[in-house]
Amino acid sequence: MNRNRLHHNQKNKSSNVRACPDCDLLQSIPLLLPNEFAYCLRCNATLLKNQKNSLNRSLSFAVTGLILFFIANLFPLITLKALSLTQNGTVLSTAWVLFEMDRPLLSLVMLFTTFIFPALTLLGTVYVLLQIKTNRINDYTAPLFRFLHHTHIWGMLEILMLAILVTVVKLGDLAEVIFGVSLYAFCLLILAMTLLDYYLNPHDIWNSIRQYNRESK
Amino acid sequence: MKTARESKLISCHLCHTLSRLPQDTGYTVTKGDKKIKCSCCQSILHSRYPDSISRTWALLIAAFILYIPANTLPIMSVNYWGEIQSDTILSGVMHLLHEGMWPLALLIFIASIFIPIFKLATLFLLLISIQLKLVYRPKDRTTLYRITEFIGRWSMVDVFVIALLVALVQFGSTASIRPELGALSFASVVILTMFAAHTFDPRLIWDVINTNEK
Ligand SMILES: [Zn+2]
Ligand SMILES: [Zn+2]
Repeated sequence: MNRNRLHHNQKNKSSNVRACPDCDLLQSIPLLLPNEFAYCLRCNATLLKNQKNSLNRSLSFAVTGLILFFIANLFPLITLKALSLTQNGTVLSTAWVLFEMDRPLLSLVMLFTTFIFPALTLLGTVYVLLQIKTNRINDYTAPLFRFLHHTHIWGMLEILMLAILVTVVKLGDLAEVIFGVSLYAFCLLILAMTLLDYYLNPHDIWNSIRQYNRESK
Repeated sequence: MKTARESKLISCHLCHTLSRLPQDTGYTVTKGDKKIKCSCCQSILHSRYPDSISRTWALLIAAFILYIPANTLPIMSVNYWGEIQSDTILSGVMHLLHEGMWPLALLIFIASIFIPIFKLATLFLLLISIQLKLVYRPKDRTTLYRITEFIGRWSMVDVFVIALLVALVQFGSTASIRPELGALSFASVVILTMFAAHTFDPRLIWDVINTNEK
């Protein structure tokens, strides 16, 4: 948003020196105003963002997400009704049916991408953010946050959302599709997780951990 | 302006803390025989990802190979009143088209056919361009890489659709759906290309470019 200020403040000592993660160019980033983003001069990668109240906002979205995740997995997402038979579908039952049909690998892919990784992301993020908020960072905070960073791309709930949509349209002609309570929770969960991603600022978290490292030495 | 490497610095790929670069072997930075860890997050520091090119090639070739069964083997079979019909990715798209569900057909076409080909081709060309030390439009190549990294996971949508159909359509002998081997091959292609995009280091695109030019 404010590319010019990068040039202006190049000699400002209080500014933050960063190497671009995508092209390795060293550049100093001035103190950002709220809602300002700093981009790399050479390749346009986002170097830093500054969001007002990032910690509180991301914590509230993470907690909301966790509650919604619980509800979304408690009841059926969709129910199929045909020939007086009904069939319920939840995230876990999907993985289980695949396992029963002798497709253990496919079942594991489902289980990890749509249940385990999203659950760990939400639980872990709430835990790390609470530690920072209450000033209780310990030696395990850094490895945990590192783990969350690496597993983040493997949580694929938003893709499952799209898949549910496709499935509903596909089955619409053949059978009666009933939306469960969990489906609404699931939609809100995707929204909460998107906002969490947007507001979570890893830079702030690493800064807190850096400070802890300095103090504990 | 200089890069971190030219300034004898190394930037942590996770928390972006800058550390001194004692002895650059090109891949992993070592002090004596010990790998150096980031002072902030304890990640092992690399000036560039270790063996980025060869690892990405290996994953990409594996994905290429699995791409063949993913498209030739059926992804699922539908049993409807005792009549069994198997579908591959392409025939599934065709069916949707014949039934007049063209928005759905388009979506599945983009996710299951266009994105994987686009991703395999882009990574292939990026690797070649780095090995030929091309200086051609590095910014656009970096953008291309970012797009590849972002869209790759969306190919999983077809795998999830199959899983959901299988879980929902279980009405005994009247109607049931089974996942077939093609679905697993396709899921493996998506996962392998995601790993390939992950091991690819975009900084290699810029290493041949003189920082003074900008
Ligand atoms: Zn850059
Ligand atoms: Zn680090």
